[in-house]
Amino acid sequence: MEKLRVVHYINQFFAQIGGEEKADYPAELRKGEVVGPGMALMQKFGDEAEIVGTIVCGDSYFNENIDKATADILEMVKSLSPDVFVAGPAFNAGRYGVACGTIAAAVQEKLGIPAVTGMYVENPGADMFKNKVYIVSTKNSAAGMRDAVAKLAPLTLKLAKGERIGASVEEGYIPNGVRVNFFEKERGSARAVKMLIKKLAGKPFETEFPMPVFDRVAPNPAVKDMAHAKIALVTSGGIVPKGNPDHIESSSASHYGEYDIEGVMDLTAETYETAHGGYDPVYANADADRVLPVDVLRDMEKEGKIGSLHHLYYATVGNGTAVASAKKFAAEFAKKLKDDGVDAVILTST
Amino acid sequence: MKLEIGNIFIKDIQFASEARIEDGVVYVDKAALEKIVLEDENIKSVTFDIAKPGESVRITPVKDVIEPRVKVEGRGGIFPGVIAKVDTVGSGKTHVLKGMAVVTAGRIVGFQEGVIDMTGPGAQYTPFSQTLNLVMVCEPVDGLKQHDYEKAVRLAGFRVAVALGELGRNVTPDETKVYETCGIKEGIEKYPDLPRVAYVQMLQSQGLLHDTYVYGVDAKQTLSTILCPTETMDGAIVSGNCVSACDKNPTYVHENNPVVEDLFAQHGKTLNFVCQIITNENVYLADKQRSSDWTAKMCRMLDLDGVIVSQEGFGNPDTDLIMNCKKIEAEGVKTVIITDEYAGRDGKSQSLADADAAADAVVTGGNANEVIILPKLDKVIGTLDYINKIAGASEETLQPDGSLKVELQVITGATNETGFLRLSAR
Amino acid sequence: MKGWYVITNNPLVRDKLSGDVQVIYQAVSFEGLLREVRDRVHKGNTLLSHPLSGSVKPRETPYKSVIMMDRKGAVDEQSLALIENAMQACLKFEQKAGRFRPEVDKDFQLIDWTLLESAISSIDR
Repeated sequence: MEKLRVVHYINQFFAQIGGEEKADYPAELRKGEVVGPGMALMQKFGDEAEIVGTIVCGDSYFNENIDKATADILEMVKSLSPDVFVAGPAFNAGRYGVACGTIAAAVQEKLGIPAVTGMYVENPGADMFKNKVYIVSTKNSAAGMRDAVAKLAPLTLKLAKGERIGASVEEGYIPNGVRVNFFEKERGSARAVKMLIKKLAGKPFETEFPMPVFDRVAPNPAVKDMAHAKIALVTSGGIVPKGNPDHIESSSASHYGEYDIEGVMDLTAETYETAHGGYDPVYANADADRVLPVDVLRDMEKEGKIGSLHHLYYATVGNGTAVASAKKFAAEFAKKLKDDGVDAVILTST
Repeated sequence: MKLEIGNIFIKDIQFASEARIEDGVVYVDKAALEKIVLEDENIKSVTFDIAKPGESVRITPVKDVIEPRVKVEGRGGIFPGVIAKVDTVGSGKTHVLKGMAVVTAGRIVGFQEGVIDMTGPGAQYTPFSQTLNLVMVCEPVDGLKQHDYEKAVRLAGFRVAVALGELGRNVTPDETKVYETCGIKEGIEKYPDLPRVAYVQMLQSQGLLHDTYVYGVDAKQTLSTILCPTETMDGAIVSGNCVSACDKNPTYVHENNPVVEDLFAQHGKTLNFVCQIITNENVYLADKQRSSDWTAKMCRMLDLDGVIVSQEGFGNPDTDLIMNCKKIEAEGVKTVIITDEYAGRDGKSQSLADADAAADAVVTGGNANEVIILPKLDKVIGTLDYINKIAGASEETLQPDGSLKVELQVITGATNETGFLRLSAR
Repeated sequence: MKGWYVITNNPLVRDKLSGDVQVIYQAVSFEGLLREVRDRVHKGNTLLSHPLSGSVKPRETPYKSVIMMDRKGAVDEQSLALIENAMQACLKFEQKAGRFRPEVDKDFQLIDWTLLESAISSIDR
């Protein structure tokens, strides 16, 4: 029987090219080579599969040239026509995790080849991509390589063969929002009794169905004196200066932008646009004030209804953006807003 | 209260002219049972059949599954207030025909549900592929209304089960188990260091074909109340529920409630199993509030430390489940809830129709929408005519090769919410 | 109790209750009826019975009857949560209503009626 063909993606560190100083290493295909963690994978694959090529790419290079790097790597993968694509594992390396998630999702989506990666659950890449590709849950450092490969290799083989993928607890992937049935070792009532005993003893227990989480934020008290308040605008509707200078992604945004609107009285089709890919952009592009109401606030500033409009606004794209990323962005710019003496923020979405 | 359960291991069922149990074989006198069934003038005819584990047999549409039992010592009889006269059961000695079941089948409504496959991929999803089943299909007299038909079949099943149980009265059990709970004060003195735990069982009580009876009383007309868990082992709770095969509790599940059994297994060791609290799942919202208020109040009055709450059904009961959980937790009593999920065929939808952060300890019986192919089996007991009318099935159910493409919903007991099976989901 | 009414798309319910209680009958789909209930909740009416009553699944049975209280004023949060969750729950079921043989329709009507009847008997107590 012919072996299944696997293409493996790793970063400069795991290819033993170097650390941070070599992170700008461009994408490179090593045909027929098995590099670094690929060795351990190959061992687990046994006679069933083989790595037919390894793609090495620096983490900075990937993240700073995301479009080109993705396109180049897709070409490399395509040229080897694999049955499955494996990226990482990335453990807790943030940029490596984002690269693994990005490229694995692209391979799956653009080439129709099943893909899998692995990372620590708190890696930002996990939250961003867990609903797009299977991400094996690993420990937080490369010391957990053995354990990671032990889960990654069998899942890789199953994906390559097109077999049914079991529940997250069986296969070891990070829960991806898809509920999958499987048989537990004990019946439900026995599991319930055990769970209750743990809960009563104050010991950790794991629910089988996490309730949907609604993050409720208690509103702040009303602003007492609007006429002297400094108001800022923030949006997840993707309003950016024309040309999207910070390249905010149209979905699953990985960053936000800070833009100066000193002296800007009105957003026009010539000056501003939306980067958002989740709604019909026609009306936002024609007049971005519809999403980010600079014009109205300028009027209110003139009329003395508000003290002033803060000269900076913050924007990102809400479309498919991970909650963890959104929280991180907000924590950063909320601090800046406070430091700048802003009294209140108008947050617009779409 | 103390109850001794004597299990008589049943190895086979055979039809014979003289009814008896010999060496673990139940010999069934068809004619005698037929007479018992036809006592009800609403039933025109009945056919009996036997289905054994591993046989290429499909039983459908299943209405109820009942385990034959007989009260040999102590007060009352099996199914008090329904078959036996009203008297408090749950103490003394009861014999059980372990390993067999009476299965009632018959089309009561056009979308009647319930499949038991004795072999193949479907068998692993129903507990009743593992029992020797005496199946009875009852035909109603012409023009009989659905609710009268349901009642007739329900009661006929109990009468037959009781008649069979009677055969075990003088048989020496192969195994004896003792279940005993203490009074409130006694329990505190006996187990001063163990957490006080109860089982809160929610009973389906929404209306016709969705009912449960407690000592013969329609559960939707009851206030939440307390049972000694051994009472259910004598048939204090019976099913009148024919809709949603996967997560309704057949009478068999009430008789063998797994939460009761598994709490008893820990009783006196890691916890003190104080009692069982039963509450309902009415359609009327004020009833829900009253019932859940009472349940939480009793948990507090009984000085409980923890409870396990089990659900029955989908949608409307999700609201009761969350109300119970929230209010009981608010009384400072720790909860674990057992439910099942309707996450859609792709598993991507929100599983429950209600949710709350207080429900932080959940056991799931799996996604009832998951699709399964049931291959054609050699024999059908009941009728396939209506198989494509089952909840979770549709006109497209019957495949050209005779196999059925269905959701787990149609299989009797598949996602049981008392935790009867090992099926789960993540 | 006064001021309650039944909203239904079930002709059997319309016929059974006509004259006795206020019935608003609308020949709409299951989801259409839930939408109508939602709109009424937005206007201040409250739910007296659960919109997902019964174990017959949404989109399987075409019929739904709900008891509401005619009331104006602030939106009742519990009613709103119940009806919105119910509408969302519909989406996860396969569309089967209309695929059943015609005689089954009567059974769906009957079950919906008996579920409603159990709620009405709670009001009448």
